[in-house]
Formats: sequence, structure tokens, C-alpha cells
Amino acid sequence: MAYFIQVLIDAVALGSLYALVALAIGLVFGVMKLINFAQADYLTVGAYSLVIPTAAATPSMMFGGLPWALMIFCVVLSITVLALITERVAFRPLRNTDPTTLLISSFAVSYFLQSLIIMFHGGRPKSVSIGAALTRPIDILGLRVGGVQFLTMTVALLLLIALVLFLKRTSIGIQLRAAAEDFSMARLLGVAANRVIAIAFAISGILGGVISLLFVIQTGTLDIRMGIMPTVYAFFATVIGGIGSLPGAVLGGYIVGILSVFLQAYLPEEMRPFRDAGVFTIVILILLVRPQGLIVTSAAKERV
Amino acid sequence: MRIFERLFPVLALVIPLAGVVWTIDQFGSASVERVATEALIRLVFAIGLYIFAGNSGIVSFGHMTFCAIAAYATAWQTCCAMLKPITMSGLPAFIRDNTFPLLPAALTSIALAGVVAFTSGLILMRLSSLSASISTLALMFILNVIYSNWTTVTMGSSTIVGLPVYVTIWIALGCAVLVIVIAYLYQVSRWGLMLRAAREDEVAAQASGTSLYWSRLIAFTLSGFVAGLAGVLFAHFMGTVSIANFFLNHTFLIVAMLVIGGMQSLAGAVVGVTFISVVIELFRRAEVGFSVGSTQISIPAGSQELILAGIMLLILIFRKAGIMGGKELRWPWSVRDDGTVVGVGQVRLAHSADSHR
Amino acid sequence: MLEVKQMVAGYGRLTALKGVDITVKKGEVVFVVGPNGAGKSTLLKTISGLMTPTGGEIRFQGERIDGRGPETLCRRGLALIPEGRHIFKTLTVQENLQVGAMIRKDSAEVRSDMEMVLDTFPILRERFKGVAGNLSGGEQQQLAIARSILQRPALLMIDEPSLGLAPLVIDQVYDSLRKLNETGLTLLIVEQSTGRIMELASRIYVLRNGKVVLEGDREELTDTSALDAAYFGFSSDAA
Ligand SMILES: Nc1ncnc2c1ncn2[C@@H]1O[C@H](COP(=O)(O)OP(=O)(O)O)[C@@H](O)[C@H]1O
Ligand SMILES: [Mg+2]
Repeated sequence: MAYFIQVLIDAVALGSLYALVALAIGLVFGVMKLINFAQADYLTVGAYSLVIPTAAATPSMMFGGLPWALMIFCVVLSITVLALITERVAFRPLRNTDPTTLLISSFAVSYFLQSLIIMFHGGRPKSVSIGAALTRPIDILGLRVGGVQFLTMTVALLLLIALVLFLKRTSIGIQLRAAAEDFSMARLLGVAANRVIAIAFAISGILGGVISLLFVIQTGTLDIRMGIMPTVYAFFATVIGGIGSLPGAVLGGYIVGILSVFLQAYLPEEMRPFRDAGVFTIVILILLVRPQGLIVTSAAKERV
Repeated sequence: MRIFERLFPVLALVIPLAGVVWTIDQFGSASVERVATEALIRLVFAIGLYIFAGNSGIVSFGHMTFCAIAAYATAWQTCCAMLKPITMSGLPAFIRDNTFPLLPAALTSIALAGVVAFTSGLILMRLSSLSASISTLALMFILNVIYSNWTTVTMGSSTIVGLPVYVTIWIALGCAVLVIVIAYLYQVSRWGLMLRAAREDEVAAQASGTSLYWSRLIAFTLSGFVAGLAGVLFAHFMGTVSIANFFLNHTFLIVAMLVIGGMQSLAGAVVGVTFISVVIELFRRAEVGFSVGSTQISIPAGSQELILAGIMLLILIFRKAGIMGGKELRWPWSVRDDGTVVGVGQVRLAHSADSHR
Repeated sequence: MLEVKQMVAGYGRLTALKGVDITVKKGEVVFVVGPNGAGKSTLLKTISGLMTPTGGEIRFQGERIDGRGPETLCRRGLALIPEGRHIFKTLTVQENLQVGAMIRKDSAEVRSDMEMVLDTFPILRERFKGVAGNLSGGEQQQLAIARSILQRPALLMIDEPSLGLAPLVIDQVYDSLRKLNETGLTLLIVEQSTGRIMELASRIYVLRNGKVVLEGDREELTDTSALDAAYFGFSSDAA
């Protein structure tokens, strides 16, 4: 029972994380039909910004050495700026091209950023330790729960709630949702294209920054590939949720996260390394049944 | 003469390639020959990807899967008779305890890649083009996870060594020519034309529902076979197989080559691979360093990748259709049906139909 | 109020509008009719800034507006309800209306305008918190009109308001359009059929193959045979 609850906490934590990344990807897709590979690198760059660029395996701290509030601020701010720069330099000139070209261009941006990290930090994994105090287990209602899991779950849930409230309750959030559904119509009503696109990218950057910190606290390592898995999972979250649907992205994020944690927990020991393959296979099987995703957005059938 | 004209798009690619290979074979150093051979193998892979992505307009990030499947399959059959029972103890006994001749091993490996492409295509080709693009990634991740962890069969993330090395520059050229011809025959076939028509016109694509599914599936399968051939060539060129070589970096390289050359024509694939191979080699040498007078000059490691990504972005922004602009090379003095002579510069587009409006 | 002169626009190599002249004066209800593919939607898209014309000029309240984006033009008082209405189906009715009013800063007046449109279209009040995708076609058209009115436009352009609606519902929609016009709103309406436009029209343009083939005031066109002839391309000058 206790094990189950721990698994459940993990599932909610990971599900919320994927839901967040998927929401960021879904928002950017909504406003400019771009599926952004570079989201992976927002995460990775965020994590690497903790340390000073060297080739050393245990580098000294940059942002990671600051008091925690300042550290979070600096990491999140720099990744937000990075996201906005990629939009301005690489994606804006391509704004009206087809989704496939945009997808390829984000692949190129992603590779560019990854190469930059390798150039400055070297390609080998590094170890860093931030938030060591948080890794201690804590007792809740008589249950021992891993501190990191609890932190991840809390932060991810809070962020998700905050983001949903932002999208539902604020004027800018409503404009963003309107633009994500029907960009031309939103422009006809005065929603400024540059502004909503910038906001969507800023959200991507903020989430990228925070999530990168959570990952580093969890694993204690930096790796040039660290952003790829969560991002690819988030891609699938948006695909199985139904490309273009924001609630679908959240739903897909939870499905993927929960599947992943439950497979990890209940697969026989020797099968666990294959967990990711299992998740992807299930995802593909879901698509076999519902090629359009779970929430279909095509105009005609929209009676949610 | 008409035959020559019809085959011109192929000959215009094949003859220069053969010329370059002959020159390198005669006058080039061993290292140049290695680089050229590798480039030719990449060309085989790029054309494999082109057969699907170029004709259907759906870009695939997962074709390394088929490459890896064939490379491992041929490694299982041909490598290291002494070590195999220990390092890959999980293989079925008849494979583990025998060494197979090279050609049948190559053919079965290619066939396996094709079958996997067909099977996965059965599902993926039902999806919308964007979902399909992303799902090809899933394919590659699934394979990567399985092969990295299936230690008793694939040696996990370690490298399988000791494959027979038989791929010379001439064999690579032969295979490249073969797949260029296959790709050309495919794209002028009924299935290829149908797929290209659907690529140009979303409405027509929707209207042709099931037949579109089948023409995509055929393209996907065929390109799986060709990617498999590239995998076999890689394996027997390097003499080693390692799952790390069949992942995002290599995928990026090939996609970049296709995009830069022009994804929508065979000539684009060839030009892209050639151009980028040369650029990469120059930068690789510059990273190692060269001396000007008495000073040693070198550029920082990793500039090669940055430059490649940069070129790719610039191409996408300023010349979306790539260097070749989606055109094939055409017989410069050909006479059109309406009697006008097509000049060297004006090459007919694939969708000249709408000029009749 | 609106002057379109010799406007040319199209999609790539296809020229959909080949030199179109249209004038709308303050307080008028101007109709543009024409068969499917005539270029009517292209006309409205170009005026509203969604497309950039390749020739000619557009003046709105005396100023050149061609080449400006829709974000700018809607702030100058130009509103368009595109073909198919394009309400935000995943947003609630309330949110749709809020997006409509977002360019305005006078929040007190927005609130009273909101009351006004909810009085005009009571069904929207009933469904205020519901998701707009659940509304019927006629209700969606009402929502689209209400949303545009909250912009407080000087000129409202509507692309085929009767498309896909039952005759009774069309009457309702036109009834509300007439009332809006009586409050001083200028209207430019595109329709495919000439059927029910005569009672409301101040002026009518017939568009065929990207050209205006007939224009006239309501009085001039009481004899509908000329209209029909132009519409179907029978008359000699349209051939
Ligand atoms: N998005 C588009 N791309 C290419 N051609 C278009 C597009 N929209 C309309 N057209 C073409 O432009 C012409 C005018 O279309 P449109 O303005 O929609 O006509 P209408 O609204 O009068 O039915 C038609 O020939 C149509 O095929
Ligand atoms: Mg129309």
C-alpha cells in the first residue's frame, strides 16, 4: 500500500511534468503550427546554466551557487530570453510556412543549441548537486515519501494549476487560447500576432527553466541529452491528446507520465530497462485505435 | 535519343558521381577515398529517406531504425565466429553457432529492414502527416531502447567489432547508382506520381483516402529497404556496429543534407549529400588544425555542427526548396509537347499542371 | 467610408480579383453577390488585412489601409465575420465575447455594451458560461455578430451570414442586422444568392470571375432580371 502511494506520487509528479511540457508545446503549436524540438534544449541549457562552462566533470557553480530564490530567477530568466531569441531569429522568418518546414527548422535550432553546449561544456555528463537538503525523505501522514518526488509533484502541480488559471482567467490567457484555436480570427479581433507568439515562447522558456531545475535536483547530473526524453514524451502527449487541443495535451501528458511510472514500478526487474520502449509502443497502439488523438479538434466534430 | 532524354535525370547524376569516384580511385589518398566511400553510403541512406519524405512530403526522423536493424542483422550473421557465443549468447542457436556468407546475410538483413518498415508503416501511414513525422521518432526511440538494453543479443551499448570489411568505394558507388535508379523508377511510376500529386494538393490528398494510404505505405516500405541497404553498407564499411551511431546525430546529418540539397527531388538529395560531405570534411580538417607558415591554426571543436545547423536554417529561411529547388536535372535541349524548347535554366516543375488555369 | 479602387489580389499564380471598385458610404448596407468562386471572400479578406493586395488601393475613412495587418485595422473600426463564422469553439460564450471586446479600454462602456448584446441575443445570455462549440449554427452566427459588435466597429463586413442556416433562422439573423443598421452601423455583406437581400440593400454589386459586372442602388435594380442576367453571366457586357 505504501509502495502504491509512492508510485502514485511519482505518477502524478511525472504526469504533471509531461503535461506542462506538452502544454508549452501545444501552445506554441497553436499559435504558429510549430512543433518545437528546441524545447528539449531549453531544458538542457537551463540545467547547464547552473555551472560555469568548462570541460570539467564536476564543474564549479555559476547560477547554481546563488541563493535558491536568485538561482531560480536567473535560470528561468535566461531560458525565457533564450526561447524568445530562438523565436525572433529562427522561427519568425518562417512564420507562414508549412508545419513540416517549421518542424525541420526546430530540429536545426535544437541541434544548433546542443552543439553550442558541447562547444562550451564538452560532451560528457557532469555531476552537480543542488538542493541536497531536499532529497531527504519526509513523513506525510505516517508515510515515508522521497523528498524529491514530493517536491516535483508539488511544484509541477502548482505550475500546472497556475498555468491553467492564467489561460482561463486572465485576458491574455484567453487571447492566447483564442489564438491557439484560430489564429486568423484572433488577429481580426485585434490579438497582436507577435505578442501572443512571444508569450507562448516565454511560457515554453519559463517551464523549461523550472523543469530543468527539477531534473537536476532529481538526478544530480547534467547531460546534453537530458532534455530530449521529456520533450519527445511531450510530443507524444500532444499527439495522443489530439494535436492542437490544449486539454488534450494535458491529458496526454498524464497518460504518458502515469504509464511510464507504472511500467517502471510493476514490470519485472529484468524488463525495466525497456520501459520507454513499452510506453512508446502503447502510444503507437493508442494511435492505431484513434489516429486523430483522443480529443479531435477538426472543426466539424467539435462538440466537446 | 528519347530514351536518353528520359534517362537524363539519372545519367546526369550517375555519370559525374562515377567520374569523381574514378578520379579519387586513381589519384586520391586513402583518407580521401574513405571519406568519399562514407559519403556514398550516406547518399544511399539519404536517397532511402528521399523516396519516402521527398515524394510524400512527410519528413521522417526515424529511418535510422531500419538502418540499425539491417546493420545488426548482418552483424549477427557474419561477425566474429569465436566471440559470438559468449558476447551474444542470446541469439538463436543456429545464428549464434554459424557464420553466413556475406551476400545472403546482406539480403536477409535488408529484407528484415523492409519488413519492419512495412509493419510499422501499416500503423504510421494512417496518421496525419505531422503525427506520422513525430511517430517515426517513436520508432527510433523504441529500437534504441531495446537494442541498448538487450545485452545478450545486441551487446547493449557496447560496440560489436570484427565484421568483415568488404565495402570499397566501387561497391558503395554501385549501390548508390542502384538506388538512384530505383528511386527514379519509383517516382515516375504510377504510385510515385500519385504520392507527389497528393503532396502538392491537400484537397486531392484527402479525396484519395485509401489509395493515398497505400501509396504512402509502398513508399515507406521501399525506403525502409533502401535504408536497410545503407545499414549493411555502414556495417561492412566500418567493421563495427554500435547503436549510438543510429540515433539523433546521424538522423540530423542526413535530414540536413536532404533539406539543404532540396528534399523534393532526387537531384537535391545527391547535391545535398555531396555539398555537405565536402563542407563537413573541410571543417573537420580545420578543427584538427592546419599550419599557415609557422603558426598552427584551428577552429574550435564543434564548429562543424554549428555551421551545419546554421546553413540548414538559412536554407530553410531563404530558399525553402533547397539548392536544387525541387527540380530534377533535365536534358537541356529537350523539345516540349507544345514545341517550345526548354532552356537550360528553366526546368519544368513537378506540378506544371496548374499553369494551364 | 470605404473606397476600393482597381484592387487586384490572388493566391500565388491565381488572380482572384482583377481590378475591383467598391464604395461603401456611412450608414449604408452594401451587398456583394456572386456565384461560388467569384472572389467575394477574397475581397473581404483583402479589405480586412488578412491578405495583401497586389494592386490598386483601399481607403477607409479617408486613409490608405492596404498592406496593414488585421490587428491594426480592427482598431481603426473595421470588423469582419469570415465565412463559416469562426467562433472559438473551445472557449465559452463569455470568453468569445471578451476576446471581441479586448481592443477597447473603456471597461464601463464595454460592460453596458455586453448587456446590450445579451439583450439583443438572449440565447447568448442563457449559454453564457457554456462552450461555444455546443451552440447550433444559428446561435453561432449570433455569437459571431455579437462578438464583432463588441469591437464597436464603424464598418462590419460579413461573409455569407446565411450559409448553412435554416430559412427561419436566416430571417432572425437579417432582422438583427437590420436593427444594427438602424443604430448607425454600416454593413458590407457578401452573399451567394440574391434571394433575400433586396429589402435591406442600399446598394448591390455583382461579382463574377473577380470582376464587378453590375452595380446599382436598390431603386435601379428593382427589375431583378438585369441582376439575374449579370449573376449568371447572360448579359452581353458580362461575357
Ligand atoms: N486559400 C486559397 N488558395 C488558393 N486559391 C484560393 C484560395 N481561396 C480561394 N481561392 C480561389 O480564389 C477564387 C476566389 O475564391 P473566393 O474568394 O473564396 O470565392 P467566393 O467567396 O466568391 O466563393 C476561387 O477560384 C478559389 O478557388
Ligand atoms: Mg466565399
